[in-house]
Amino acid sequence: MLTYIPKRIGQGLLTVFLTVSVVFVLIRMAPGDPAAAYAGPLATTEQLAAVREQFGLDRPVWEQYLIFIQQLFTGQLGMSYSFQAPAFEVVLERLPYTLTLATASIVLAAIVAIPLGVWMANRANTGKELGANMLTIAGQSMPDFWTGIMLLSLFAVVIPVFPASGFATWDGLVLPTITIAILQIALVSRMVRREMSNNLALPYLTVARSRGIAERVLTWRYAMGTAAIPVFTALGTRFAAMLNGVVVVEVVFAWPGVGSLIVRALETRDYPLIQAAVVVTSLLAIAVQLLIDLAYPLLDPRVRLGKAASA
Amino acid sequence: MTNPLTGPQLSRRQLLRAAAAAGLFAGVGTTAACAGPTGLPGPGTLTVALTRSLVSLDNKLNQFDSAVTVQRAVRQALTEIGPDITPVPVLAETMEPDGDTRWTVTLREGVEYSDGRPLKIDDVATALQMYEQVQGSFVASFFPEFPTVVPVDERTFHLDSEQPIPILDALMALILITPAEDNEAAELQEGVGTGPYLVERSNRGAGTYTLVRNDNYWGDAPEVERVEVRFLPEEASRIISVRSGEVDVIDSISPDSRDQLEGLPGVSIEESSSLRLNQIFYNFRKPASNPLSDARVREALSFAVDGESLVKNVFTDAVTAAEGVVPDSLLGYHKTGTYQYDPERARRMLDDLGVGDLSLKIIWQTGEFPADTSVMEALTEMFGAIDIRTELQQFEPGGNILDWRQGKAGDWDLLGNGFSSPTGLAITMLQGMYAGTAAKEETRDTYQGYVVEPVEAKITRAARESDPVRREKYLAEAQQAVWDSWPCAWAFVPKSVLARRERVGGLSLAASNSYPLADVRLEA
Repeated sequence: MLTYIPKRIGQGLLTVFLTVSVVFVLIRMAPGDPAAAYAGPLATTEQLAAVREQFGLDRPVWEQYLIFIQQLFTGQLGMSYSFQAPAFEVVLERLPYTLTLATASIVLAAIVAIPLGVWMANRANTGKELGANMLTIAGQSMPDFWTGIMLLSLFAVVIPVFPASGFATWDGLVLPTITIAILQIALVSRMVRREMSNNLALPYLTVARSRGIAERVLTWRYAMGTAAIPVFTALGTRFAAMLNGVVVVEVVFAWPGVGSLIVRALETRDYPLIQAAVVVTSLLAIAVQLLIDLAYPLLDPRVRLGKAASA
Repeated sequence: MTNPLTGPQLSRRQLLRAAAAAGLFAGVGTTAACAGPTGLPGPGTLTVALTRSLVSLDNKLNQFDSAVTVQRAVRQALTEIGPDITPVPVLAETMEPDGDTRWTVTLREGVEYSDGRPLKIDDVATALQMYEQVQGSFVASFFPEFPTVVPVDERTFHLDSEQPIPILDALMALILITPAEDNEAAELQEGVGTGPYLVERSNRGAGTYTLVRNDNYWGDAPEVERVEVRFLPEEASRIISVRSGEVDVIDSISPDSRDQLEGLPGVSIEESSSLRLNQIFYNFRKPASNPLSDARVREALSFAVDGESLVKNVFTDAVTAAEGVVPDSLLGYHKTGTYQYDPERARRMLDDLGVGDLSLKIIWQTGEFPADTSVMEALTEMFGAIDIRTELQQFEPGGNILDWRQGKAGDWDLLGNGFSSPTGLAITMLQGMYAGTAAKEETRDTYQGYVVEPVEAKITRAARESDPVRREKYLAEAQQAVWDSWPCAWAFVPKSVLARRERVGGLSLAASNSYPLADVRLEA
């Protein structure tokens, strides 16, 4: 454990470093000129050259990369071209919104998907399970954009109980959370159903059942105990993915998260902002993955981190 | 046999409970950090949603149309473009020409910034310097030269220039005045202004601003106590927000959404002409051997475009076909002609000119104007009807269309483009688009290679003429000369359209797609 955590942190930091390095190169290979986006269509060649010089874009890419690495290690990620403010601060301004939405969505997904998956497993191959299956397939098939607009039309216009956009009010969290959670519920519940169906058929559960142990205990303590790791991993991985922003939902609900910020940064070729967003979100994603790994021994005592489980 | 986890004696259940509690705490904490006050807009609060994120209330680098509404509510200039597109004094009590190269300005008496500091001549001088020095300035490109401030007394000063700038009163509407000690050669992120509102709270990342009445305002106090500015990029969300009453005003509405909103109870549509001209512009960097370098070929091709059908069926009357080389809303506009649809004539003219086999490559950037893709597809059909092949190439925002426009990335024939005149003057647009010179073309800084010496001479003559009557005459001649060179296959003027809740009164949408917030009132 004592060596495992530093080792994983080291691996994580290396992953972040490689990720931002790849992003650094890729965004510079993409067509488009940050100076043109910054100075606008009326800028002359001379003005564009001056802007490039101001941003250091006139230097060779390797030199820009060295400067970026230097900034990275000093925690300075440059000035955003479009916001004219430290890129790191711009990303941090948006981060609480993304964290809030991701946390609310994954909590809602877990609260609904796990019992739903268990319910489906307990009613495997019945008409009820078929009905639930159809619902989850529908949830998986509906595009976020469409779901969001439908929810908005229904609950902000026809029955105006929730705000239509932004996070100016507390209940502004409800509709975007549901929009994101619908897909997650569909995916996770089907996974829970599969895991639980397998586990409920295991011999030790048959023995336990024959000893008269209550079905509720069999399901939630024994079968779910075994299914906990894959389910928890799936939820954690989806949560980590949401930290990059849920772009479509952010746009539909005018949610000021990191995803829409990255889109804007890409449109304006705001290199420092793109890089800062990638650094922050990849650090968070890796931290979440690390926490998931650290939680395994809590979910299953047979697991020892950093070593293969002994028989 | 399982291996127990070594460490403190803490049960799994206890640890899981602690983790859940920590998660809940963190979740609530972050939520509390970013949620604002609850409730729909109150009786004294106006909520305005913008289509683009307002990153600053300064305009040195950024100024999109509807941002003007918010920027001018906080910061003001010596003048502003009035409802009839003429410059009217704001911080200047008077601004009069005093010879060819001098304007005399008297500052309004007793004007203070929202923090109580008095407005000074030095603030104007510093503002001009900062706008000139900032790299990539949006505003600087409209100034042929920046004038020098020469103080006369405490409130009066001259604006002196090397060359005549007869439109300086209009240009000064672009220079927002800030206390000299706070100004810098960059987009200002904070600071005070002399406008009817001051910023109480802002989140630039999210594009949200809360404005409250400025008690130090020199003019009549605005009726609306508080203005909430929000950023709603997605049009469907904007429509729903205004329908639900959560937002009072939304701007830049597309033709489709306008249809949805018209007739809805509680919602009204405001419409005006605009200061923008959209064109299907020819590439003027063609060699003499290319058919498109012949104005008669360009004219012939324009007969293939069914502008009336585009206006009616694609734009659903949200634009008007241009009848000149600048929008008719601009000061100094002169009607030069109309685009006519006559495909048979087009084919006949091309045949007479020996242009049998012609292929056109049309390029444009997504979002350059509403329904851009539909327009281009319609053009393909229209040109196809006279046996002209077309190839379409669409660029995403942030892409390299600039390289294409400058002829550095590849060849093209027609460009879907737009040009605005934020000064409200025809001369600004003429200078930006049609005053190209051979020297400018060396660095590809002309408008799609448009270099026509007689036209440039006419525009320059009009720009330097101080006498209003002669300037008007020269402007008309310049515009006719541009029209006769057939720079566009077709052009149109988009309308500015906004939707407001009916409780919003006193809102007068100008051609600049903005309105004075101080005039707005909220009815019960």
